[in-house]
Amino acid sequence: MLARVADNLFWMGRYIERAEHMARFMNVNYFSSLDAPSSTSQSREFVLRSMVNMTGLSMASSGVLKEQDVLYRIGTDPGESSSIVNSIKNARGNAQSARDLISTELYESINKFYHFAVDYPTGKFVRTGLFDFTTQVTEMTAIIRGKIRGTLLHDSIYAIIMLGVNLERALQITRIIQAKYLDALHAEGEQEEGFRYSYEWTTLLKCTESYDMMRRLYKKQPTSTSTLEFLILNPNCPRSVMNSLNQIYRHISILDPLRIRDKDSSAFLIGKIRAEYQFKSIEDIDNNHREFITETLSSLSAIGSRIEGEFFYY
Amino acid sequence: MTEHYTIEYVAENTYEHPVLEANWQFLIIPREDAHQQRIQIFFENSENAPWEFSRNGFDFTTIRVRCQGAFKTISFRAVFHLEKTEANPFEFDLGQLRGLPENPDELLLFRIRFSRYLKDTPLSRLPNRVKVFDFDPKHHIFENLIGLNSWVFQTLKYTSGATDVDTPLEVVLENRMGVCQDFTHLFLAIARHHGIPARYVSGYLHQGLGYFGDAQMHAWAEAHLPGIGWVGFDPANNILATTDHIKVAHGRDYSDCAPLKGVFTGMGGNATRHRVQVETQQQ
Amino acid sequence: MYLFTKPCPMQKRNTLFSSYPRDPGLFDELFDQEGKVTKVYSKLFNLYGKNSISDYLELNNKAKASFFNQGITFQVYNEATTREKIFPFDLFPRIIGAEEWAHIEKGVVQRCRALNLFLHDLYHEKEILKAGVVPLELINSSENYLEQMVGLDPPGGIYNHISGTDIIRHKDGEFYVLEDNIRCPSGVSYVLSNRAALKRAFFGVFNHYDVHTVTNYAENLLDQLERVKPGGVDVPTCVVLTPGMYNSAFYEHSYLAKTMGVELVEGRDLYVENDFVYMKTIMGPRRVDILYRRIDDHFIDPLEFRQDSALGVPGLFAAYKKGNITIVNAPGTGVADDKAVYTYVPDIIRFYLGEEPILKNVQTYHCSRKEDLEYVLDNIRELVVKPVDEAGGYGISIGNCLTDTEVEEVRQSIRNAPRKYVAQPILSLSVHPTFIEESQSFEQRHIDLRTFTVLGPDSSYVLKGGLTRVALRKGNLIVNSSQGGGSKDTWVLQK
Repeated sequence: MLARVADNLFWMGRYIERAEHMARFMNVNYFSSLDAPSSTSQSREFVLRSMVNMTGLSMASSGVLKEQDVLYRIGTDPGESSSIVNSIKNARGNAQSARDLISTELYESINKFYHFAVDYPTGKFVRTGLFDFTTQVTEMTAIIRGKIRGTLLHDSIYAIIMLGVNLERALQITRIIQAKYLDALHAEGEQEEGFRYSYEWTTLLKCTESYDMMRRLYKKQPTSTSTLEFLILNPNCPRSVMNSLNQIYRHISILDPLRIRDKDSSAFLIGKIRAEYQFKSIEDIDNNHREFITETLSSLSAIGSRIEGEFFYY
Repeated sequence: MTEHYTIEYVAENTYEHPVLEANWQFLIIPREDAHQQRIQIFFENSENAPWEFSRNGFDFTTIRVRCQGAFKTISFRAVFHLEKTEANPFEFDLGQLRGLPENPDELLLFRIRFSRYLKDTPLSRLPNRVKVFDFDPKHHIFENLIGLNSWVFQTLKYTSGATDVDTPLEVVLENRMGVCQDFTHLFLAIARHHGIPARYVSGYLHQGLGYFGDAQMHAWAEAHLPGIGWVGFDPANNILATTDHIKVAHGRDYSDCAPLKGVFTGMGGNATRHRVQVETQQQ
Repeated sequence: MYLFTKPCPMQKRNTLFSSYPRDPGLFDELFDQEGKVTKVYSKLFNLYGKNSISDYLELNNKAKASFFNQGITFQVYNEATTREKIFPFDLFPRIIGAEEWAHIEKGVVQRCRALNLFLHDLYHEKEILKAGVVPLELINSSENYLEQMVGLDPPGGIYNHISGTDIIRHKDGEFYVLEDNIRCPSGVSYVLSNRAALKRAFFGVFNHYDVHTVTNYAENLLDQLERVKPGGVDVPTCVVLTPGMYNSAFYEHSYLAKTMGVELVEGRDLYVENDFVYMKTIMGPRRVDILYRRIDDHFIDPLEFRQDSALGVPGLFAAYKKGNITIVNAPGTGVADDKAVYTYVPDIIRFYLGEEPILKNVQTYHCSRKEDLEYVLDNIRELVVKPVDEAGGYGISIGNCLTDTEVEEVRQSIRNAPRKYVAQPILSLSVHPTFIEESQSFEQRHIDLRTFTVLGPDSSYVLKGGLTRVALRKGNLIVNSSQGGGSKDTWVLQK
């Protein structure tokens, strides 16, 4: 496989995953805030600020955020490089340059996705279409994931795409955790009990489509500890950082079975980070959330740049 | 008698922004022929980028360099040692000289054989309605070409920096200034206009005698004299090519003989500085 | 679709063509002079006739959506914003009978072989110029003659591996060659996707005809390409070189790479080391032996040709010259598909093959010849004037459509640069029923045919089908997609 094309497939996977998480975050955060228990959590400013933080949009930190403005920029603004519509555009652009390697079915579903997003009327989106648009984005990404799994040969091409998907998933989950962690702090102040039982943990779980399964496992109201344990360390939760790391490791091994022992290889670095998370307990995390989140983000981006350096630089 | 020459060629490239990948091709190696023989070739570059000998589309030896990694300047240095046997520009026998074929069939064959050097090119195209040197039908081709050589020498004033590598003759003739390339292109244009095959030659000139040619690579012309062969004319100095003219390549015009061609991946502009030095030692 | 699954013996009234406006002055592929349906079309005419216009409209819309979703689109420039468009596709196929096809196939192969010998000669002994059959001036003034190719022997002696020959049927019923395309002819992917789309929409009709398949193009192409591999290579690696995804023919490039099962590369994926060409893969460099390039000559190597080109591969020509890679088509083929050379093709065929041309040429006047120039200036109303070196139907003026001022303008441009123009009598391209969306009915539209020939050292392959292009604007004779043309699936019958 060409190095440039591998790069494109990797990023195709990342952009598809990114669009999905952003859309879901917007959807869940916005609608669950409407009837949130505390007045802080209900405030428009609060929920908009949370969206801005999660997506990394550059918006003035002071001043009042305008709802339609924020929704437009995150959702359908073609001029905003990190908007959902641009993620989809990039996913399709990357797919297009590699379309000789992927299945017609996969390309067709990405292409449909693209036409859906660029043709979505902005006026409708910011007034009444938020639910419709974000729901359709998450559903279409699920279809695309199905096509990736079901119509591609599970060889190096598949491995590259899955590396992108899983790395992006781990990153987006961590960013969502970060945003909701800050929301919980903000809503409850330094009050320990409030923080521990904050409503924001429920929202966090819903943002990651993990609420039902978490309740099934813990059978209790989510707390900061149980939520973070589930979303970071539980290998069976398909959205957890641990699960993503396991998948990343599995796919790098397909790509590069011989180099796992080479300490400069991506496989080695991924194996090392994965082992570190595998043998972490929630007690290691519980006392310094903030640092832990920052470290996770930087480990994940180190994996990203190591993969790029090893396979895509030419 | 043989003469020993040492030629040093230096080029320095600077770029506005770091370059990710670049490729260069140097057409600077003195060629081997009956009069000149290479003893040694030395080449180096400041980035230690890998390089190789190759051949261009006209079969002249080139050096090709490919460099990866972020850099903003790179310099190249080549040193050539060669031996030349002294050439007398008038050594050919003028008694062998013939005119252009008069029989149409023969003329067609002649024009087919030399078509590459009879066609005009964007750089050697004569502008319309400009009075230039006229051949005198009473004289033979060689005399006319000698006349053309001095006419070009007198018409243009040698002025460094007056023109670029892609200045058309129209501009050159308007300003009556130029460097050796422009002198050569003008010579080629008029010779070809009269049906005489003529080609552009790039090379080095040993400047011991105070010739024009800058401290850069030199250019002159070769015209094909029926019955004799290719003869070198240096219109920038109003002489025939001598031992001190060290030939690298020939072609239709400058663009076939550009000493350095390069492409790079990166943003912004770039600049190149060349320096050439030719030294001699009689043996 | 349930349509056509049962042949219906009862001949109902054919509503689809009830209001078909037929101009008896034109050659209609479907109807003869008396308005009777021709033999090859009769079954199809009956089968299609069982549909109503609204059935047809629905299928047409579905086919369009399928092209769009699959991304079989091209970019349209010269508008405020770049837009994605599908190449309009007409669901009524064009049928060519077995006998007529045999004639076309023999004719295009003859032409391609002769042009290949012509190219070899132009870059070696130049016998045809010495014999005065083709004027030296014609070659001298061609910008597509590559001096760098002189004396070079491409592997297998093949220059024009892939040729696209444009053929029309005149109102006299005869086929004429309109143009040879031997640089990077495009359009073959549309042949294949048109067939796929028609099969989906009207699969039933295929049961009634023995139509030659077109899906074997890629394997035949790869097979012929592998026969011209460089010396010393056992299992060659072939790649398709594209200018990139913003090129209007990118879909075709990726389609060809995919169906041949080879990598689709851009110039930046390749590099040259020790005069060998390598591609950069995730597992390191891998040698490339055969380069099917879809980039024009002047852009393939910035160190040898245009230095400002970012599309090519630095050093590629040096590798080619050394015989370490095969470039397809060979550089320098453009000199032989120039519209000015076109007129000499019958003489070229006679000169190299000692045969009479099987397919006719359209009478062409060269404005560079004095007597032709006068004829053209005097008879401009009856002629099509074409610039010699423009592709895609640009710059063409059709005499009987011009205003007096325009006639004068064309005359002036010809006088200013006679070498740049050729003229041909206005041909009456045959017409074919074509579904017109605006009027929601079938109307006559002019068509041509682009055939695709793959030439190997000792065998050749002609795609049994080809691209029937149709001028969608009423009365328009220019079928190029850039000029609002569409296309039809083309059936070549087995018997």
